[in-house]
Amino acid sequence: MSGNLAQAYAPLLIHLLVALGLSAILLILSSLIGQHRPTREKMQPYECGITPVGDAREPFDVKFYLVAMVFILFDVEAVFLYPWAYVFRELRWFGFTEMLLYILILLAGYVYLWKKGALDWNPSKTQRDRQT
Amino acid sequence: MNDTIARSILVVSLVKVVVLLFLVLTAVAYLVWFERKVAAHIQGRWGPYRVGPHGLLQPLADGVKFLLKEDATPAGVDRFLYFSAPLLTMTLAISAIAMIPFGPASIHIFGIATPLVIANISVGLLAIFAITSVGVYGVALGGWSSNSKYSLLGGLRSSAQMISYELSLTLSVVGILLLAGTFNLSELIMRQDGYTWGHLPKWNLLNPTFPQILGFFCYFVAAIAETNRAPFDLAEAESELVAGYHTEYSSFKFAMFFLGEYASMITVACLASILFLGGWLSPFPQTPGLDWTRYLPAGVLAVAGVALIIHGVRYINVFGRIALPVLGVILGALSFLCSQPGVIDDIQGPFWFLAKVLFVLFVYVWVRWTLPRFRYDQLMRFGWKVLFPVALLNVILTSLAVVMRK
Amino acid sequence: MDTAAFRHDFFLILPEVELALFGLAILLFDFMLGVKDKAGNAVFAMLGVIFSGISLYRLRTFGPEAVGGFNSSIVVDPFFLFFGMIFLVATGLVILLSVRYLQIENEHHGEYYALLLFATVGMMFMASGYDLVVLFLGLETMAISFYILTGFLRHQRRSNEAAVKYLLLGAFSSGLLAYGFSLLYGISAMAEINGPLGVPLQVPRTNLDVVRTALELRGPTDLLVLLSLVTVAAGLFFKVAAVPFHQWAPDVYEGAPTTITAYVSVASKTASFALLLRLFLYAFWPVRVNWVGIIAAVAIASLTLGNFAAITQTNVKRLLAYSSISHVGYILLGLVAAMSGPDGNETGLKGIAFYLFVYAFMTIGAFAIIIVLRRQGLIGDELDDLNGLFQRSPASAVLLLIFMLSLAGIPPLAGFVGKYYIFLALIETGHYYLALFGALYIVPALYYYFRIVVHAWLREPTGEAPTRVTPGQSVALAVMCFVTLVAGIYPEPFIRLATYSLTLPSVLFGR
Repeated sequence: MSGNLAQAYAPLLIHLLVALGLSAILLILSSLIGQHRPTREKMQPYECGITPVGDAREPFDVKFYLVAMVFILFDVEAVFLYPWAYVFRELRWFGFTEMLLYILILLAGYVYLWKKGALDWNPSKTQRDRQT
Repeated sequence: MNDTIARSILVVSLVKVVVLLFLVLTAVAYLVWFERKVAAHIQGRWGPYRVGPHGLLQPLADGVKFLLKEDATPAGVDRFLYFSAPLLTMTLAISAIAMIPFGPASIHIFGIATPLVIANISVGLLAIFAITSVGVYGVALGGWSSNSKYSLLGGLRSSAQMISYELSLTLSVVGILLLAGTFNLSELIMRQDGYTWGHLPKWNLLNPTFPQILGFFCYFVAAIAETNRAPFDLAEAESELVAGYHTEYSSFKFAMFFLGEYASMITVACLASILFLGGWLSPFPQTPGLDWTRYLPAGVLAVAGVALIIHGVRYINVFGRIALPVLGVILGALSFLCSQPGVIDDIQGPFWFLAKVLFVLFVYVWVRWTLPRFRYDQLMRFGWKVLFPVALLNVILTSLAVVMRK
Repeated sequence: MDTAAFRHDFFLILPEVELALFGLAILLFDFMLGVKDKAGNAVFAMLGVIFSGISLYRLRTFGPEAVGGFNSSIVVDPFFLFFGMIFLVATGLVILLSVRYLQIENEHHGEYYALLLFATVGMMFMASGYDLVVLFLGLETMAISFYILTGFLRHQRRSNEAAVKYLLLGAFSSGLLAYGFSLLYGISAMAEINGPLGVPLQVPRTNLDVVRTALELRGPTDLLVLLSLVTVAAGLFFKVAAVPFHQWAPDVYEGAPTTITAYVSVASKTASFALLLRLFLYAFWPVRVNWVGIIAAVAIASLTLGNFAAITQTNVKRLLAYSSISHVGYILLGLVAAMSGPDGNETGLKGIAFYLFVYAFMTIGAFAIIIVLRRQGLIGDELDDLNGLFQRSPASAVLLLIFMLSLAGIPPLAGFVGKYYIFLALIETGHYYLALFGALYIVPALYYYFRIVVHAWLREPTGEAPTRVTPGQSVALAVMCFVTLVAGIYPEPFIRLATYSLTLPSVLFGR
């Protein structure tokens, strides 16, 4: 069994290694072949022609973190749906109702998020007034 | 004995990998040409025309340009991440193709029969999604490591968009899994063999239990957003954030991001045709009356070859007058090869597969140059408030249909 | 899937399911309530607790045997019924006390009640779990709900700081606990064990029966066993705030909303003790010989630090935090007694169960007085805020006296009976010095508890109007006072309840 597994996955490993090697070679090649004439203006980060001010790594908006967190929650749900789908044919109605309940519980959470405005990228003016 | 088997598998896989990577990289390059041509014709102009006949050598010229350009690394970048971000993106983008089966037949390399897929693993679908999920790192790291506010914001936006739509992507495929009960891509295609509702092929899009139309819609839209293509490309649109996370990359590192995007486009199109459009299955039933459809590959190639010859001899410049007819003759020879009894059966699978992939890619390009761009908050709203519930609804309805059918 | 078996299993987890459903419903219905009507959430939560209590009561028909459900991953036995009852009562009391408090604090959101119910669900799984994974899940559910609840007063820096401290230290200790569980799983997976009747095991290797058998096979001096014991104990001692791991308690207790302080100090502690008892009295029973000494050391350390640190405190909540650390010391002393000797000591078990039961009431009672004192412009947790309580509100002052006496262990109140049984057990098992220490440490306890009473009864009032107590709070206070008095004067029924609860039969192998 494990021999079979290795037989099936070894080509994938080879593919990954060859792809990695190819990309690395191309990267190194481009650094070697291209010209290198650094000037001060070329080394600056691009900001549409004006001189950049301050460090680029400023604190960014917390809504990115919120999106990532909500993604994790629902991605875990999707991950649980995969093995269920795999064995679904044997489970029949019992499996269906179980998964329906599972999805409904997570849907309750989803509705809560929606109503709270966690899924809005930009709260509208009425929402902003309501939040305070 | 085991050792020689292992070594031969190694060698065969290596050959397949090298050939496939070569083909994929060429395909990616010419996909760029294809897009530019289609875009141009949609917009009522010619597109690349000068570099080689009909711009066919444009990808080569672009590649050479990228290699020879100056690799300007801006000051203050995080060196390790700056170099590994494009590496990661490109490696992962061309790795997902390892699980794609191109046809049912076996080819013989050094006398060993091997299927037309590099890694026919039992969880092929899951592996592809795993690889594309890790691809988000490339975007995020690229944006972060470049010492530029535009890059950071662009990278964050891109990665937030990618993970939002990745959710709907993975959910839209659950319907297929419910119908098929397997993750293996070759087996998924085999389950779509046969005909239903008269003479319509039993592709998952038209599945008799529950047609996966919602699933296909969700998958396709999510895939466009996942690969950061228009109309979901706000994170890299010129007027918005210069070029988003790859603003500070030049020369080949930028090309790697670029190639990575197109390679993942090809992967997604391959996956769409496998999951929803029947993979390498022919849409025509194999009845004696429709036996002539087996000559379609040969026919298409012959028509293309003849058209190229006729057009080529009247081309503007000398190079084209020689190159295009030669290309046409080659296509004619290939067409003759495809009608030979030895090859004709093996060529059916790859031909239909490539035809479907090309069709999906065409729709991809068509959508890009037809629809206006989404604003970022519209994009996120659509992903979370429309696509995710629709994908979930698809899962529930499909499971209901499957369990009621039993 | 066998629907009859499923219905049976579902009946076993019905209390938790009801709480979870009510919690979800509160989250959704909160949007329909206007700002004035948020007390409706509390009504809903109370209904959930009552329904869950009814389901729990109906489970008692399974009798003194243990009934396993979901492939023996959860068990319903008297242990679970006892602790489940404590959790539900504590939750109900806290809900009653919270309504007015949150209205004053201006943070009256529905999520508070939903999180309370979710925490209770976690706690009940900690008491009824029979599988390492279920126990860990219950612990995490409870812990995460508490992290959020601790930071519920979003606009106060103290509350945010307390929440972050609790989160960081709690996450770290949960990690340690998970590591210990993984070692236990390794031990049980490597052991050669057959199920009853010699057939291969049908349950996963994380089942507590399997773990216990595996530990028995390896013996108490094995390195892996010791390592797993150390890590599990470290994680659990954090949760109960025993001494080397107590650092979070004073800051979290002080910063959290007082209702949550009461809830954490009672329910979280009791649930963590339930987990600790389930593990130490059942799974680790075969390897307990080396551990009695360590638990005794931790107990004495907790007593020492808790009592001496509380002497200098001026903030009542911090004072009660340190004093709760000392109570943990007492309970651990009871555990030492219960684990001594070849068959354990039944008096020790009785003492632990009874002590946990009355500890719930008297601690929430003590905090309840502080909660009642909260009004606009006065947070009410400094000692000086209690000045002259007798003049301002005699009833509150009398209740305060009762609760403080009970906490100190003065007869005829409930705290005394609990300590009595623990000292009795220590003497029965020959731990004379531990009993002596335990008795001696009552002296500092008397000092700081009576300091509170002195401020309330003998100082001149610095505050203004008498406090306003809502009917809900009155009911809660009455219940707690009643139990504290009755359990002290006539403890028989409660002792019988405690005795019944601490039989820990095996699910798979039968004892």
